[in-house]
Amino acid sequence: MKRLTWGFTVLVALAALVWAGAPAVSQPKVVKIGDLGSKVGVFEGYGKYQTWGVQMAVEELNAKGGVLGHKIEVVSEDDETKPAPAVRKAEKLILQDDVKLLVGAVSSGATLAVMDVTKKHKTIHWNSVSCAEFMRTTKFHKYYFSNQPDSRMQANGLAKYIVDKMGKKVYIFYTDYAMGQSDGRQFKTALEKLGGEVVGVAGAPLDTKDFSPWFGAINQSNPDVLFVAFAGTDSLRLMTQLHSFGMTKKYKMAGIDCFLLQQDLASIAEPMEGFVQLNHFSPYNPDANMQAYNARFKKKFGTDANIAAGSYDAVLFWAAAVEKAKSFDPDKVAEAHEGMCVDNTHIGRQCIRKEDHQVVMDMHLYQVKGGKNLPIARIAGSDSIGEAMVGKDPVEGFTWEIKKK
Amino acid sequence: MDYLVAVLLPQLLHGLVFGAALGLLALGLTVIFGLLGVMNFAHGELYMLGAYAGIAVVGVTHSFWTALIVAPLAVGAIGAVTEVTTLRPLYRREPLYGLILTFGLALVFREAVRQIWGGDMRRILPPVTGSTPLLGMVYPNYRLFLLAASSILLLAIWLFFTKTRAGILVRAAVQDAEMLDGLGVNVPRVFTLTFAGSAALAALAGLLLAPIFTVYPQMGVEMILLAFIVVILGGMGSMGGSVVAALVIGLAQSLLTLWMNPQRVAIAIFALMIVVLIVRPRGFFGREGVLE
Repeated sequence: MKRLTWGFTVLVALAALVWAGAPAVSQPKVVKIGDLGSKVGVFEGYGKYQTWGVQMAVEELNAKGGVLGHKIEVVSEDDETKPAPAVRKAEKLILQDDVKLLVGAVSSGATLAVMDVTKKHKTIHWNSVSCAEFMRTTKFHKYYFSNQPDSRMQANGLAKYIVDKMGKKVYIFYTDYAMGQSDGRQFKTALEKLGGEVVGVAGAPLDTKDFSPWFGAINQSNPDVLFVAFAGTDSLRLMTQLHSFGMTKKYKMAGIDCFLLQQDLASIAEPMEGFVQLNHFSPYNPDANMQAYNARFKKKFGTDANIAAGSYDAVLFWAAAVEKAKSFDPDKVAEAHEGMCVDNTHIGRQCIRKEDHQVVMDMHLYQVKGGKNLPIARIAGSDSIGEAMVGKDPVEGFTWEIKKK
Repeated sequence: MDYLVAVLLPQLLHGLVFGAALGLLALGLTVIFGLLGVMNFAHGELYMLGAYAGIAVVGVTHSFWTALIVAPLAVGAIGAVTEVTTLRPLYRREPLYGLILTFGLALVFREAVRQIWGGDMRRILPPVTGSTPLLGMVYPNYRLFLLAASSILLLAIWLFFTKTRAGILVRAAVQDAEMLDGLGVNVPRVFTLTFAGSAALAALAGLLLAPIFTVYPQMGVEMILLAFIVVILGGMGSMGGSVVAALVIGLAQSLLTLWMNPQRVAIAIFALMIVVLIVRPRGFFGREGVLE
């Protein structure tokens, strides 16, 4: 009996040793990163592609050994396209999952709210979709980085083309929340500075079902160009309704980056014909780097890439900064980001400006033809980025007032 | 005069089109409440299912008109099965049970659609194309068709409830189901068919509005809020009240946008609902005692 007890004790001890030793031998160290975006709501499509971009970058990095010898794991959360859930989920990702990087959100309102959380918890925060202007100015903090062209970059890039090539009388129709208001402010300022005449402005709430009540005012203003700052399902509905009222043929149309995903263009090719927009990715751009990236994306997900390119690059930038800092410490990683360049982004070499943490990205102007975003001009990032204005309002003294000529 | 013709009248037309379509959606909701005493939180999802069923039928037959018949029938059948298997066992319990059940059903329907069709938005092309010069603008023919179709449907529903034996049976069931049962009428079948009919009506509204509003899994959630406001304003269970309230909301949304920030228009409509709930809880035409 005594021998049996001893034998059992030895067996338990051996099992405990095997159990204790096993993780060290077979499981690599893990670092988690957070992907926060819209899984439902008006920007649902954008959230899905943001996640795919993150997943693709992580898969490629893990295939090369991860980052600092750690395997990267993605934790995805839905922010319901609203600031309050976005804050709650960001807190959860940081405090419960201990993510070392947070990518998101999609909606500008949600991203602005999440910036307070990432600032408070000193978490590296990359924005690759939201484009409100305040993130790299009045809301900026040292842990925040962006490779999404914001409203000011877009206005600097597109307004000149509108005034030179499309017409001087412009009506600005925007979605009435952080992103659209920001676009409206920046485009109105840029257009007026370039000699354009803004003949009217109007904002429709996010997720408006019927836009027709605004069409009378647009028609009364008789613009050359109708500039629209909407995104997601709002864009699809707006273009469908404008087209049914004959307004897509009556006016030249231009819009913001991310107005519609390439995937949506096929179903709305006719209303979108001739539409001009600034964008940082199109599968129809002959750029060799974009084509190589798109081929890999298409092989993995069976569809063309789009805004996914932004979140893909964001993860690459973060991984490169961690390797450079040789640490996950947020202060060291943030400092490593500043001024850093990465060669293998979806468009080749890109660098982060030290002052406001904005990626100096070359963008393209595209025109929709037959449901495809075809490039018509390339705009250097250095021409559109504008001066760094951390803590300041780039269009201070702005007014929505229409200046009659 | 120019302002009236160029601005006010077109806005009035926009409001009428939206209000009539909203009336179709709210009518099913109010009938179910009047008959079963259940606030059907899944009604928006039945509206959404109508649009997706339409996409499926159009995909096979390439005909919107066929979809307009098949999709409501299919959703009506789903409604009938849902009523028999889930709602019927709860009729004798407190209304809260039905409320929670339909809330759960809404989640199930929405996620099922997301699994089958994905979350991307989809578009159904209008079967009536072109536009008509009207009030100094070109007005899409499909919107005029929508206004005509909604008006005819609302009239047909009114005739059904007032002139046909089946409609009178439903109204009798709303008044006193036990008495009807005592007279030998198969009341559970009346309930099932009414629920199925309301589901089909929601589906019809979903498909009719799809060419204008596009199709995506959340579309029902967003419309149902307005439909609930319509039902509360019109009077819980009052069919005529729902139609009037839908038109009031459609017109208010359209006209107030001319003078107010649209966000304030939405607030104004909610404020109106709150005032009605406080001052006259039964709504414009509701029965005395409901919500009082």
